[in-house]
Amino acid sequence: MNEALCDLSALEIARRVKSGENSAVQVLESTLDRIRNVEGNSPSTASYTFDPADLEKIHAYITVTKDRARVQAEQVDRAIEEGQDPGPLAGVPLAVKDIFCVRDTPSTAGSRILENFISPYSATPVERLEAAGAVTVGKVNLDEFTFGSSNESSAFLPPVGNPWNAAHVPGGSSGGSAAAVAAGEAVISIGTDTAGSIRQPAAFCGVVGMKPTYGRVSRYGLIAFASSLDCPGPIARNTTDVALALQVMAGSDPHDATAAEVPVPDYVSLLEGGVEGLRIGLSPDYFKLKFPDPETGEIREQSIDPDAQRAVQHAAEIFARAGAEIVEDVPMPNTHYGIPVYFVISRVEAASNLHRYDGVKYGYRYDGEVEDLRQLYRITRARGFGPQVKLRILMGMYVSAEQYEKGYYDKALRVRTLIRRDFLEAFDPQGRYKLDCLLTATTPTSAFEIGSVYGDSVLMQYADLLTVSANHAGNPGLSVPAGLDEKGLPIGIQFLGPDFSEGTLLRIGRTYEMRTEHEPWRAVKPKVLQGLG
Amino acid sequence: MTEKITKEIFDHLVDLAALELDDDEAKYLRNELNNQLQAIYELEAITLDDEIDVTSHGVPYTESTRPELREDVIDPCKEADEILAQAAEVQDRYIVVPDIPSEELG
Amino acid sequence: MPEFESVIGLETHIQLNTQTKIFCGCKADSWEDLPNTNICPVCTGLPGVLPTLNNAVVTKAVLLALAVQVDSVQPKSYFARKNYFYPDLPKGYQISQYDEPLALGGFIDLPLPDGSVRRVTIEKLHLEEDAGKTVRQVGERWIDFNRCGVPLLEMVTGPDLRTADEAAQYLIRLRQLLRWLGISDADMERGQLRCDANVSIRPVGSDDLNTKTEIKNVNSIENVRSAIEAEIKRQIREVQSGGRIEAWTLDWDEDKSTLHKMRSKESEADYRYFREPDLLPVLIDQDWLEQMRDALPELPLERKERFIETYALPEYDSEILTEERTLSEYFERTVQAFIGDPKVVSNWMMNDLLRLIRERGTTAGKLIIQPEHLAELIAMVEAKTITASTGKELLDKVEHSGLTPEAIVKAEGLGQVSDEGKLRSLAVEIIETNPDQVATYTGGKTTILGWFVGQMMKETRGKANAQLVQKIFRELLEKS
Ligand SMILES: [Zn+2]
Repeated sequence: MNEALCDLSALEIARRVKSGENSAVQVLESTLDRIRNVEGNSPSTASYTFDPADLEKIHAYITVTKDRARVQAEQVDRAIEEGQDPGPLAGVPLAVKDIFCVRDTPSTAGSRILENFISPYSATPVERLEAAGAVTVGKVNLDEFTFGSSNESSAFLPPVGNPWNAAHVPGGSSGGSAAAVAAGEAVISIGTDTAGSIRQPAAFCGVVGMKPTYGRVSRYGLIAFASSLDCPGPIARNTTDVALALQVMAGSDPHDATAAEVPVPDYVSLLEGGVEGLRIGLSPDYFKLKFPDPETGEIREQSIDPDAQRAVQHAAEIFARAGAEIVEDVPMPNTHYGIPVYFVISRVEAASNLHRYDGVKYGYRYDGEVEDLRQLYRITRARGFGPQVKLRILMGMYVSAEQYEKGYYDKALRVRTLIRRDFLEAFDPQGRYKLDCLLTATTPTSAFEIGSVYGDSVLMQYADLLTVSANHAGNPGLSVPAGLDEKGLPIGIQFLGPDFSEGTLLRIGRTYEMRTEHEPWRAVKPKVLQGLG
Repeated sequence: MTEKITKEIFDHLVDLAALELDDDEAKYLRNELNNQLQAIYELEAITLDDEIDVTSHGVPYTESTRPELREDVIDPCKEADEILAQAAEVQDRYIVVPDIPSEELG
Repeated sequence: MPEFESVIGLETHIQLNTQTKIFCGCKADSWEDLPNTNICPVCTGLPGVLPTLNNAVVTKAVLLALAVQVDSVQPKSYFARKNYFYPDLPKGYQISQYDEPLALGGFIDLPLPDGSVRRVTIEKLHLEEDAGKTVRQVGERWIDFNRCGVPLLEMVTGPDLRTADEAAQYLIRLRQLLRWLGISDADMERGQLRCDANVSIRPVGSDDLNTKTEIKNVNSIENVRSAIEAEIKRQIREVQSGGRIEAWTLDWDEDKSTLHKMRSKESEADYRYFREPDLLPVLIDQDWLEQMRDALPELPLERKERFIETYALPEYDSEILTEERTLSEYFERTVQAFIGDPKVVSNWMMNDLLRLIRERGTTAGKLIIQPEHLAELIAMVEAKTITASTGKELLDKVEHSGLTPEAIVKAEGLGQVSDEGKLRSLAVEIIETNPDQVATYTGGKTTILGWFVGQMMKETRGKANAQLVQKIFRELLEKS
């Protein structure tokens, strides 16, 4: 089959568009065609009744910004005609996770409460991607306010299906992003990662996702979940495209006081450097999970899926052959505190961040009779927020109110220091391990079935066990596809590195990509694409 | 399993959160809250040295990575009307909300 | 019945006069602007926005901290979120310093009428953002976000004030200091200086701190005085009749001059303060702080003392001349330009320049007439080149035209006529043309001399040296 334009890499699309071989409009048309082929029923907030056909399709887009995209694509083409350089992402179709404000688009956060909010401004990283020539095709689905790991908590249903098997979740919260990229409905996507929300869906959908260092990419315009953990980052089908997108998004921003003043390296040119001499670590704490039994509260231990274990070991062998030094038994003893600490910190910040949705300034407002303002707040928020949002707000109230468990919050912030220390010690150039990166599975399991976990908020959270520590510590993490499990679902491995080591992680990811280029699983396409065109 | 979040505490939390819940929803949420607390209890068992300070952002900011404070120069926003247009009810450029019960008890 | 004294502490909110708001680039001053015009995504709390701290806010706050001699401007202070629902608070939380404020400790000395000084301790200074305005309408509230994010500096005193008058004095001194430092316009009617008062009473001689009430939303110094007075009276009545004081929050009704009890809002515990993750701690560089300390201007009370010592001014003069910074600077520059008694300069300034300043509704620093002009003008009067009344008129003319006093005197021929020869020939003329009046004089009614002087003034349009004219007429008439 002839590869469709929408299936090309960002690098190749930009090359073709700039050389005039294809126009940005053609690339857009190809992408819109794909969307028509694989989307199925559009997600909406109308009351949802399950339709078996929905388990065959993707439903990634909350909004397809067709007209806006066409204007952008035409601008790119005109710039080229006029001899200007539209930028490194010329004509590259971009799907924006609907947690980012994009000027003149509905920016919903997957919530009823923002369903009718049209943003008057654009998020900094989106603005930078568009300024580099990317064409925003639309806004993709997510867990409501990013609160989830499966996409099922969105107010916009049907839920996103996994392109490898649409009866399975795409992961979350950036599930729409990962699914759209995997299905060729976009070439790159911008997502956010608060506990694993880029890496976990990237792993579930067989694509590449990066959570950059906290402060590497501006959060301005990202509708906040947990402000001290949220990181915007790119998702694409290969490491080169992720490098290309990160290059454009990264850097300080006068609108974000936490965006660090750290120079942005040329990630793309660093890619082909290989792994010779790098020290790559394996940690037993990432092979065995510790979590409390939901019934008894006792701490239980369980190994990650054997397929995932094998994928990590296989990658280690590849790197060893490529000249890296594999360091085994690196202790990361505080990893298992990641979830409890997260339960506290993220809830406190989320509850506060969600205070502003009150029906006064924007978004949904209950329009029936009310006695007073307080009642307007209560009914608006009761009807505007879904159950997972309410759960996070209530937990946030509990662990931040002086009269209850405020002590937990302080404790959690201090345990966060322990988690950070694990990373510092592993990566300390003068320390015992001197790692350049830690190699782990991205997720304990592959994508679970839609409906199988949703509702159990604790079990759902433990899907982030291998990813959340990097959010606490602020370190960067890259997830790349590493094969398919026995169910034919993708497996992801992740590289965790020192602060601002995105360049090294991408180089390691690229090496893995090249060294596994001819492995048979690389030829397998997601199910939703089989039989197309 | 102990029920740390009693009905009374739960109702106070709902009030703080400016929510109102039907019975089913309340039951589900209170149950999940207590389950999550089980997970959090793990933290209680950790003993921490006094020297362990809080980490508010994972990556520390240094003199060179900290952004400068903003200069005091007016940057007028052209989107004031668009912002206002998002509000459900506007009158004479004011955003309108229902009354707040009188605060004075005389 | 024991005698009571009152114990008063004040919490003031000072609106810093920066160009922009504390966390966004919107214009901070919205006086007379239409509602919801100085707003942006940040200060209206749109989804996804982040605050960025205005550096001028920190600089101005540190200036005040140094001026009240704080024990410490903290090397590291933090912003926190105070969470509550109110329609004038678009984010649903106020960004405010809380457990680690900008500065701790300090004092303001308050000279009392009896000559003693009351030292009012400052507990802390912290930065925060202002909320918007809600306007009451029938059955609804109207919200204006223009004021959202205007920078406020909250300064809290110890329970050191003893009377409503002292509280008013404190506010007057604070207002003077804020304007002096140029960090706030401190106009209470415009809400640039706001005051909540904590009031309790105790028997004279006791050191106890009893239950206090908090009076909120008082918008003039006069009202602060009246409200505190009313509350002290109410508390004394309550205690004397066997009642107890409860920790109420009270609201001053300006029109009826009465206090109302307000419904208690959230308790402190319900605000769920936690560190603002969107902002880094405020770091104060110690070298910079020392530079700021060195650059701190001489303060009003110091300057007042120095004026008394250096220029031998009466205390009254010195107090008035140091009420406002540019006035005191005007005085010193004038004294430097004028070779003579500083008290003469003080008299001119207190009588005539202040009248001019009031009439024009301006400050000394903004006058067109410069200290050098005033010195020149006073010197001309002192040298009798012009009369005192010409001098006063000249003040207005200089201010109006921008020309130097000398240039105006020359151009308009305002110089005092002291040319004896010229005056004598004019006098001869007057005597010759008025034989009747001469006869009256020679007839013994010498008081008519004044009439002759008047005629001369008419001829010279008031510029004649009156003493000289008298002398000439007396001589000539005696001879007739
Ligand atoms: Zn603003």
